[in-house]
Amino acid sequence: MTTVSITLQDWRAWQPGRAPCDDSRLSVDAHPRGASVPAMLRRRLNASGRAVCDMLSELDSEASRVLIYASRHGDGDRTLDMLYALAEQEPLSPARFGMSVHNATLGVHSIARGNRRSLQAIAAGGAEVAALFSEARGYFAEGESDVIVVFSDAPVPERFAAHVDEPTDLAVVALHLSASGGRPIHAQPSDSTNAGHARSPQPSDVIAWLLNEASLVCPSRRLTWTLSP
Amino acid sequence: MTNALELELKQLIIDTLELEDVTPADIDPDEPLFVEGLGLDSIDALELGLALQKTYGIKLEADSEETHQHFANLKSLAALVEARRVK
Repeated sequence: MTTVSITLQDWRAWQPGRAPCDDSRLSVDAHPRGASVPAMLRRRLNASGRAVCDMLSELDSEASRVLIYASRHGDGDRTLDMLYALAEQEPLSPARFGMSVHNATLGVHSIARGNRRSLQAIAAGGAEVAALFSEARGYFAEGESDVIVVFSDAPVPERFAAHVDEPTDLAVVALHLSASGGRPIHAQPSDSTNAGHARSPQPSDVIAWLLNEASLVCPSRRLTWTLSP
Repeated sequence: MTNALELELKQLIIDTLELEDVTPADIDPDEPLFVEGLGLDSIDALELGLALQKTYGIKLEADSEETHQHFANLKSLAALVEARRVK
């Protein structure tokens, strides 16, 4: 089987509360500034959205790259607030609705910076990393040389916390991937013993993998990714 | 009286539309609220319409020319609230 190769050029990450490390690509700041976005657009972004936009201003500084965003749960807080409003027969907030859609954060970046390339938003039930790499390969197969993939998640609202298998860490990671020229990323089948112990990979797991602290496994796809030096 | 209502509306706009770093003093009652001046957008217009309905019981047609005139600036908005409020 031949697959299109995929390499890592650069990355940025945000995980508040994580122990700070020497790598300046990781921010542990509790309040990302969102300085890359004008105030009138920024006001609608939550902390994750601000972190995403600041990362994209660096990894997509020319506003010229294909962007793929993934989040397993999306903006649970805004979505649930709207459902509560509907249940109470209250009118919906248009601003809240606008920002609750899955591609909202990429939309804000594209408006703020003028990126008119393809924007994609994915939810993959815990297989977001596999989906992001797979989509990136698709673009490379079509001749695109670089794409930016973003993976963002946050704890689900408290009322629904009991319904998820694993608590979700608040974190965002953005990878600049290219067809060649960066550090190669290899996907390998993971043996079932390995996969059995791993949780569905979250953004925080990707960060640990980038920092060489842990392996990156997707149990549902039985895949392990290794990053060459 | 008008000034108190204008101040109340300024605070309503700032709170409802989550305007960071904007204080009531920054909103000029004669300046446009939308696009120019304060720089609000179409989602803000819908949000503000909703807030007027909730706070004062005023229902507006989203697309009418009349609504455009009411939303022109803070003074016209205050005039609308004074004339049409039911709570």
